[in-house]
Amino acid sequence: MQIKAAQAHYDSYEAAVEAYMEKGWTDGLPVVPPTPDKVERFLAAAGLAPEAVLGTVPTREVTVTAEQVAINAVMAGCKPEYMPVVVAAARALLEEKANLHSTTGTLSGAAHAVIVNGPIRTELGIACRSGCFGPGFRPNATIGRALRLMVRNVARGIPGYLDRASFSTPMRYSLCFGENEEDSPWKPLHVERGFRPDESAVTVASIMYMTSSLDSGSRTPEGVLNSLAKRVRQTGVIGDKWLGDEVNVVLIMGPEHMRYFAEAGWSKERMRQYLFPRLTAEPREGPMNIKRPECILLVAAGGPGMAETWILHPHLGLAVTRRIEGARR
Amino acid sequence: MATHNGGIVCLDPTSGPLERRDSRKFRERPPTLSGATVGLVINGIGKADAMMDALYEELRKEVELAGRVRVVKGSVSVPPDKPDWERLTKEATVAITGFGG
Repeated sequence: MQIKAAQAHYDSYEAAVEAYMEKGWTDGLPVVPPTPDKVERFLAAAGLAPEAVLGTVPTREVTVTAEQVAINAVMAGCKPEYMPVVVAAARALLEEKANLHSTTGTLSGAAHAVIVNGPIRTELGIACRSGCFGPGFRPNATIGRALRLMVRNVARGIPGYLDRASFSTPMRYSLCFGENEEDSPWKPLHVERGFRPDESAVTVASIMYMTSSLDSGSRTPEGVLNSLAKRVRQTGVIGDKWLGDEVNVVLIMGPEHMRYFAEAGWSKERMRQYLFPRLTAEPREGPMNIKRPECILLVAAGGPGMAETWILHPHLGLAVTRRIEGARR
Repeated sequence: MATHNGGIVCLDPTSGPLERRDSRKFRERPPTLSGATVGLVINGIGKADAMMDALYEELRKEVELAGRVRVVKGSVSVPPDKPDWERLTKEATVAITGFGG
């Protein structure tokens, strides 16, 4: 295996960690020093040659290789077996309409969510229930971080350089979680997007704002969705001519809301049909670029307690779903 | 990978140095806008078109301009379309653009 990245010698593990910090190669937190043997193990876990091209960012004149992504995944603290998920997430973000350039360079400081579906969630222990957006789960924390380090180090999304965010967001450290397929009455997200239930897939969605529709008063599907539609409309969904008619919004429903739909036998499709006219009705409070019910993406996640559904209002990038290649079945 | 003297060998995680990798340079600013054909590259956000049009009118009050080449992009995320690039590079002598919303 021929690694191309430049190598440097450091006197100790600690010296390497400090050197990477000083060179501006981290997100501000210490990283795991990426040694050639570790990087080779990561590439082997994904079944990829170092020079395999995962995608390009034409506006930045950058070609992203498997080797570069593996180096950043090691630095993020991933285990080798996470690498197929990181690779799929990188490929998704590098698709043209995911729009890495704008979503990572914007003044608004947009972020990305990495949503994992399929058997690999349980194999890797990706959290999808209580606390799944937050710290405490190694695969969630490090897979999301690996993608962000790739954006920084390979795609040059460096604050003050090509990352022009006025404030940025802590979601840019890492945001990765799984869909709670086991407790959900619905088809998983990846199945709705064309994959088999026994396949694993990752969806990368841009986030302009992340807001919560907290509604502990409603006791019916209609009541929950009415509150949700109102909340989505308050902030809105942006889009433009180039992105076209596929702009999506991701809604992540917790179990306290989900149970009303389970009890009443509502499918995701029925929820979308109910929501769509309520999201798009005139007069509108803000932008609303959802053109079809299918562009409303529903995900089951979170834990009991709070009666809430989280909304990922997108930036100027489409949510892209990619199969996780080489994932164990 | 530990080395024989107890150190460690690590890999560069970047796609290379941040400095430009070619010899392209910015064109020099003209000393005056008098007689210029002004390219207006509008990113399409909000009222960017009205703002750029107003800017052109303000310039016209100060100097005699030869005209304008108005380009509205389909998105803040992409460069102008190829025909618009051609109009800009062939017809405009200076160009003004903006970013953000």
